[in-house]
Parts: sequence; structure tokens; C-alpha cells
Amino acid sequence: MALRGLDLVVPRGQTFGLLGPNGAGKTTLVKLLLGIAFPTSGKATVLGRPSGHVPTRRRIGYLPENHRYPPHLTGEQVLHHFGRLSGLGRPERTRRVEALLKRVRMEEWRAVRVHKYSKGMMQRLGMAQAILNDPDLLILDEPTDGVDPIGRREIRDLLLEQKQRGATIFLNSHLLSEVERLCDRVAILREGALLREGSVSDLTRPQAAWRVEVRPAAAEALQAACRRVPGAGVVQGGVEMSGDAGALNVLIDALRGQGVEILSVVPRRDSLEDVFVKVLNEGEAA
Amino acid sequence: MRIAAILIDTGRELLFRKTIVVYFGVVTLVLLFFALALRTDVADGVISTLSVAGLEASGSRGAFRLGGAPAGAGLGGLTAEDFVRYVQLGAAFTLYPLAILMSIFATASLVPRMLEKGTIDLLLSKPIGRPALFASRYLGGLLVATLNLLYLTCGLGSILALKTGVWNGGFVWSGLVMSLYFACLLAFVVLVGVWLRSTTVSVMITAVLFFASLIVRWPHGNRDWPLLISGRFARFTAVGMVESLYHALPRTYDFVQSAVALIRHEGGLQWGAVLGSALSGTVALGLAVVHFSRRDF
Repeated sequence: MALRGLDLVVPRGQTFGLLGPNGAGKTTLVKLLLGIAFPTSGKATVLGRPSGHVPTRRRIGYLPENHRYPPHLTGEQVLHHFGRLSGLGRPERTRRVEALLKRVRMEEWRAVRVHKYSKGMMQRLGMAQAILNDPDLLILDEPTDGVDPIGRREIRDLLLEQKQRGATIFLNSHLLSEVERLCDRVAILREGALLREGSVSDLTRPQAAWRVEVRPAAAEALQAACRRVPGAGVVQGGVEMSGDAGALNVLIDALRGQGVEILSVVPRRDSLEDVFVKVLNEGEAA
Repeated sequence: MRIAAILIDTGRELLFRKTIVVYFGVVTLVLLFFALALRTDVADGVISTLSVAGLEASGSRGAFRLGGAPAGAGLGGLTAEDFVRYVQLGAAFTLYPLAILMSIFATASLVPRMLEKGTIDLLLSKPIGRPALFASRYLGGLLVATLNLLYLTCGLGSILALKTGVWNGGFVWSGLVMSLYFACLLAFVVLVGVWLRSTTVSVMITAVLFFASLIVRWPHGNRDWPLLISGRFARFTAVGMVESLYHALPRTYDFVQSAVALIRHEGGLQWGAVLGSALSGTVALGLAVVHFSRRDF
């Protein structure tokens, strides 16, 4: 069974990230939502209609993982083809295709058949295809897979535009840094079960831990200051510690006492990657 | 609009494959040959002189030869109508099988390609129902094959009509009958395609069905053969198998007979065979649609 006991709500207008290792059931969930696969039991609703409801798909944009476009079509023909399938009339379709080819910087390649496109170009065209119908719900499965950093940034900007437009975005990605930057909420799946769900800010909330950035100083001075505060240690030229504000002040005094110049004090928060690894490990232990 | 999108895309895909283009090229060469190389003189409905690529054909009383003959000898009373039918029968026997074969090769991959991961996901995410999507794909393949057959029959029919003054509408009808035969065969191709997702297996199984339909036609038409089998059960089983296959498969032989009859204006369609094949094709297509509609991708 690819998914079990999954209960999830994605509010309208939010950007939702679905995380999980390979085989967690992320793609299966997307396929169930779109009616590409059928559940053996349970139900799902999308935009207020049962999943797979054909007319509702007019309001959905989808970019599957490893998508393939008909190799005999040019980039422009691909967009027109999927625009027609989405029910866009000719004038509207032509306007959208022109605008999107420009937006994803594919104008020069519009008349070239897609089998000559690089992976990055395919992803850019894929994004254009997914947002062609100004969807209310955008479902993206690994949209930045195989894309270079500049391309990733472009896709991220495009997604931020969609978010500002008010579209709900459902994002499957292995790139946790991307998810952390884009998503309001995330869910972590493993072996088809939901391990954790929450807002990104909650999951990565600052703990009672700190990092003190200092001007380069003698290692002995830093070590001496750290010895005075339990849980403090030198990490990559700075000092990190766990403890409350009182303990932090003791550390600052100790560092100043050693003549160390303090540049900044930053409350430490887990990255989404830290949370992800931690949750998976907890799940494994359980 | 959505169905049109699938039809347009299917047409583009088939043109991209080149198989159909090769067939189109062969037919065009044949048409050009008849248009440019054939010269006829018709007097009172009888061919008086005929030349092909500069070689004059002539003869008398049923025997005619190429390479020159006394002027005015005529062609043994060969009527323009007979001449047109002979040419069209020749074209039907050589180009119809080519058309069917090429169309099968070209269209066998339509369904397996559509079902490839990354392609089917995208198609099914669009606001088009699965039955409509599948049927459009089938219809696209059928349309291209039909257009090819019409190109041959209308093209050759028109050229011969211009050269001889004889228009044989039966030739065009025979092309449409073969198109119906292809429709039945294509239903089995797409059924195998959606079931096994393999172009090669689709072509192989279609070839098997094609030959099986030819093979079972003989025992079906010959009522005495069961007497050669000893044992009632074995006889009953053999007859049952032959009759089941004959009725379940598109009836190749009967379609060819119908096409010939239409060209020669001798008798008409074998309606039983045509309707029986249409029924089996419809069942195959229905099963394919049901399987496609219920399958997880």
C-alpha cells in the first residue's frame, strides 16, 4: 500500500511542501489528487470537488516528475497543444503562449522541436505549460530536478509570482532549501504515512540555542571562555551554546573578559533539512 | 476543442514517424506514373491506342502486346471500363495491403507511447475524460489511414477518369471498405497496446490475428473438413474454435472479396462479414476503453 491513514488539508492560497525520502508516496498522493491513480479506500477533494473530477482540472496546473512532451512538437506547439487540452480559446491561448515564452526565456527556442531541448529548458517549458491556464491550484513534482542554480532561481521567482497571484501551490521536492524558502507549510511522509505536518516557521522555530560570531581570535581565548559555560563550544571560528538568556550573558561576559570582540549573537534555528532528518530518524526509531 | 487537440497531435505524430510519409510517397509515385506516363485514346468506349511511358500497347481479339503494332488494330476490344477496373484491381491488390501494413506499423505505437510515464500523467491532468482521450487517439490513427486510402482511390480514380472518361465510384467505396477493415484491426491493436504497453507486441499480435483470420476462413467456408477429424469431442472442439475465431476476428478475406466486388461492380458488400467484423472491432475497442479508464498510471 503506497499511502496509509493519511489525513491532510491544504488551505487555499498556501504554498505546501510535501517531503519524504524516495518511495514515501509523494508522487502517489499527487496522482490520487489528479485522478491519475485511484485509491483503494478513502477519499480526497480538490478545490471542493472529488479528486479526479474532470471539469475541475481546468483550474489545475500540473508539472509531473520527468515529464515528456511529444518529441515531434516545437516548444510553441507544446504550449498550444496543452492550452487546447486545457480548454483555452485561441485568442487567449495565443496571448498566454506569447507572454509565457517570454517569461521563461524560451522565445528563441520556440520553433525548435522539444527533443533537442536540455533538461533545464524542458523544466522551463514545463513550468510555462503548468501555469498556462492561470491555475487556482498548481501541483509541481520535483520542478527543479536537474536544473542548474540559475534555472532554479528562475523557477523559484516564477513560483513566487504565482503565490502572489493567490494560487495554491502543492510542491513535491527533494531540495529542502527550496521548500524552506517557498513553502508556508510542509508535511513529511515516510512509507506512505504522515510523520509530521506544520508551518515552516513552527518546525524551524528557534530553540534555546545561540551562535556568537566573533572577530578572529586566539583559540585559547575562545576555549577559556567556553570552559566557563556548560554546553558552549567553538564551532567554525565562532561559539555555539545551548541554554537560556542568562547562560548566554555569562558566555558574552567570559568572551569579553578574554578580550574577544563580539560581532553578532544569533538565536539558532534548525534548518528544514535538520528537521527532516530528525523527524525521519524519530520515525525510524519508533 | 480537446478532442481536436488530440486528433491534431496524433496526425502530427504519425507524420513525424515517417511510416505514413513513405506510404504517401509510394502512392504519389504511382499517381504521378499514371498521370504522366499513361496515354490512351478511347473511341466508342473502346481503347484504341494505349501507351505507357512511350511504349505503345496494341493487339487484337483478346491478345495485346507492348512495343508497337499496326495502327488502328485496337486492343482486342478492351473497353475503357474494363481497362479502368483492371488497373484499379491491380492497385487494390498491391497498394491496399501496403496501406494496411504501413498504417498498422505507424499506429501500433500510438497507445503505448501515450501510456509512457511522464506523458500519460500530463494528459490525464487535463480536463478531458479518459474515454474521450482514448477514443480520440484511436480516431486520429483511423483518420490518417482513411485519408491515405482516399488519397489513393480518389487520386487514381480521377487520373483514370481524365484519361479514359470512365469514373468508377466502386473503387472509392472499396477504399472506404478497407478503411473499415483497418478500423476493426486497429481496435485490436489498441486493445493489445493498452493491455501490454508494447508497440512490438501490438504489431506481432495484430499480424497473428490477420493471418489467423485468413486461415480460419477456409475451414469456415468448407463444410466437409470436420469429417476428417475422428472423435465427436475433438470434432466439436475444432469446429467451435474455428467458428469462434472466424466470428471474433476482423474477416480479412471477406473484406478483400467485398472490395473486389465493389471495383468490378459484381455483387456488393458481404454485409454479414462487414457487420460481424465491425461488431468484434467495437467490442475490442470497448474493452480497451474500459481497461484504460480503470487503470492506475
